[in-house]
Amino acid sequence: MDHIYTLSEIKRGQKVRVLKINGGDLALKQRLLDMGITTGVMITLNKVAPLGDPICIELRGYRLLVRKDDVRHVEIEVIK
Amino acid sequence: MRIALIGNQNSGKTSLFNVLTGNNQKVGNWPGVTIERKVGLLRTTTHEVIDLPGIYSLSPFSPEETIVRRFLLEEHVDLIINIVDSTAIERSLYLTTQLYDFKIPMIVALNMSDLALEQGIRIDIDKLQSLLKLPVVPVSALKRTGIKEMINLIKEVTLDEPEYPAIYQGALNEEIAKLSEKITLKERLFIACKLLEGDRNFPIHLVLNVDDSITKLTNEYQNDIPQIVADQRYQFIERVRDLSVSSRENPKTLTDKIDRIILNKYLAIPIFILIMFSVYFLAAGPVGGYLTSLIESLFVWINVQFSGFLVDVGASPWAISLLVDGVLTGVGSILNFVPQLVILFLLIALLEASGYMSRIAFFFDRIFRKAGLSGKALIPFIIGSGCSVPAIMATRTINDENEKRLTVLLTPFIPCSAKLPIITLFAGYFFKDNVGIVSASLYFLAVIIILGTALVMKRFIYKGTYSPFIQELPTYKAPNLQYVVRSTFEKTWAFMTRAGSIIFLASITIWLLLSFNWQFQYGVAIDQSILSDVGRLFSWLFYPFLGTNSWAAGVSIIQGLVAKEQVITSLSIIAGLSDGAASHTIFTSPLFTFFTPASAYAFMAFNLFSAPCFGAIGAMHKEFGSAKKMLKAVLIQTTVAFLIATLIFQFGRLLEVIL
Repeated sequence: MDHIYTLSEIKRGQKVRVLKINGGDLALKQRLLDMGITTGVMITLNKVAPLGDPICIELRGYRLLVRKDDVRHVEIEVIK
Repeated sequence: MRIALIGNQNSGKTSLFNVLTGNNQKVGNWPGVTIERKVGLLRTTTHEVIDLPGIYSLSPFSPEETIVRRFLLEEHVDLIINIVDSTAIERSLYLTTQLYDFKIPMIVALNMSDLALEQGIRIDIDKLQSLLKLPVVPVSALKRTGIKEMINLIKEVTLDEPEYPAIYQGALNEEIAKLSEKITLKERLFIACKLLEGDRNFPIHLVLNVDDSITKLTNEYQNDIPQIVADQRYQFIERVRDLSVSSRENPKTLTDKIDRIILNKYLAIPIFILIMFSVYFLAAGPVGGYLTSLIESLFVWINVQFSGFLVDVGASPWAISLLVDGVLTGVGSILNFVPQLVILFLLIALLEASGYMSRIAFFFDRIFRKAGLSGKALIPFIIGSGCSVPAIMATRTINDENEKRLTVLLTPFIPCSAKLPIITLFAGYFFKDNVGIVSASLYFLAVIIILGTALVMKRFIYKGTYSPFIQELPTYKAPNLQYVVRSTFEKTWAFMTRAGSIIFLASITIWLLLSFNWQFQYGVAIDQSILSDVGRLFSWLFYPFLGTNSWAAGVSIIQGLVAKEQVITSLSIIAGLSDGAASHTIFTSPLFTFFTPASAYAFMAFNLFSAPCFGAIGAMHKEFGSAKKMLKAVLIQTTVAFLIATLIFQFGRLLEVIL
């Protein structure tokens, strides 16, 4: 099995699909789900903060600011 | 009829509430929290409209979500108006699918439909209505379109128990149905679903044993239930989207273009500094300064006219002195600053309404995080530039207890509006050519002190746990002028009322203490007055950063506890009484000629960063929940202020000698 990609590794110009959220804090997980990070959703990277973190991702037609650390439990596959 | 207004943050909910209710509003707080509770009457009706806090979900993890949950579970609601942001329709409908479970009649207000059209999003309203099985009205709260239709629809709506589309599928649906049969309440679906998700925040009689069902579902889906539930909700929404919404791929919006500059890797922080600098430069610098000098000369004129009038009607000298040297000088010294505050409040409200604030959180989060704070702490800091009291109360939205305490401790370091007079007065006199730079420098000093204190405190006293930063990036909006004007007016009015109440009483008190000695003889020389003796008790404390034992400066600093602007009031009254003929500039009074630029800057710094006023200390007490913790925090603040002021003074004096 190859390296498992997580949302914290998303790169500029990539389009990724969410597979599932593995573990992590319960409240954090619920919050990510509530904001639309569910199985199958497509995500692109919109921008990175000037200091390298947090990142701004685009999904479901809107933009979400997240810290890389908070999305390192979100397993993804790179589509493009 | 009771109508609940529910929607996401930044969905335009408050604007819609204002348009729907006009000026029939009552503002209070939700029990136990300081989140605003607004109730109003729907225009042309007697229907009550309640503005609920902006939320994304009904999970029990944030105070806002808890409020809305409890409200829906415990209070009677006839109708829900669910505001859906057309530009983020999928995420907005997620909340709608949760509201379904309450079986309350609901109308969807499709807000910002004009903005969505600009972004190439087309929504088939009829299709959406039939798929969601509820009425959908396109509105624009900003442009006030669709409001009449909305009100008419509310008047005609039928209040029977609605039939909503089925969200849950397969095994999950079966388990929820089985469980909800055991619950007799109308909101049984909601409770059943939440119980399966592992949520136990319900009255004990509602908490049924669901362990078997949870194991069964987890095995069947090979996934945990919160994820299954969220997946199914979004699957429903995706079906609705596919049938009723069409959008162009990745249109370049105005927000993108602006953000390319504002959030640029190299420009973001310089632009932020420039914006904050301009705000304080406009407020405290030449523009505000000029307006303040106009008001000042008006007060001088009133002073002369009024004392002339009092002499003419034969008032006794002590009465004239009380009214002119005490009350008028004291209250006037504060009202002078109203124009500057109007500018400050106006600019901050504009920034708040434009969407820039969440961008600040975005690019400063990394720095904040190092100091043990999340981007959420930024909100109290920004509110704190108006007044520390609501800012301290706003820390309640921070979930982690230690992070909250740390934020409460740090919030008063932000120069509040009452401290602005101190800054402008001293900077204006001692740094005439660089007023803007000097005032702005104090704000940056505040930021440095906040981060430095946070770093130290995190290590030793408030060891925080981690809290995540997950936040929507809203699109830029043309600021809602109604909101901006209202917010500016409310804050200015609060400042003026304080001048008419607290400052008024304090002015009379210090006039009395300055005009009498311990034998209660009137008309003694000012340095034999009761107040001067009180000041001498403390003045040595301030020697390290003033370079002299000044009772007059000492008592003024202490009065900052009553209200920070009282420092200026006190200086004005003392100066006025000391040279008799009231020259109207504080610093020509023999009592205050000792001030040099170095001690002036140190004096400002000490007043800005030491213990806040009693109002803010009270708020701190409430948030800490213990007098001991509150005292500890006040002591930390004052120690930091003392160290900084002394450092500035000693270093500044050295510079003065060299130059």
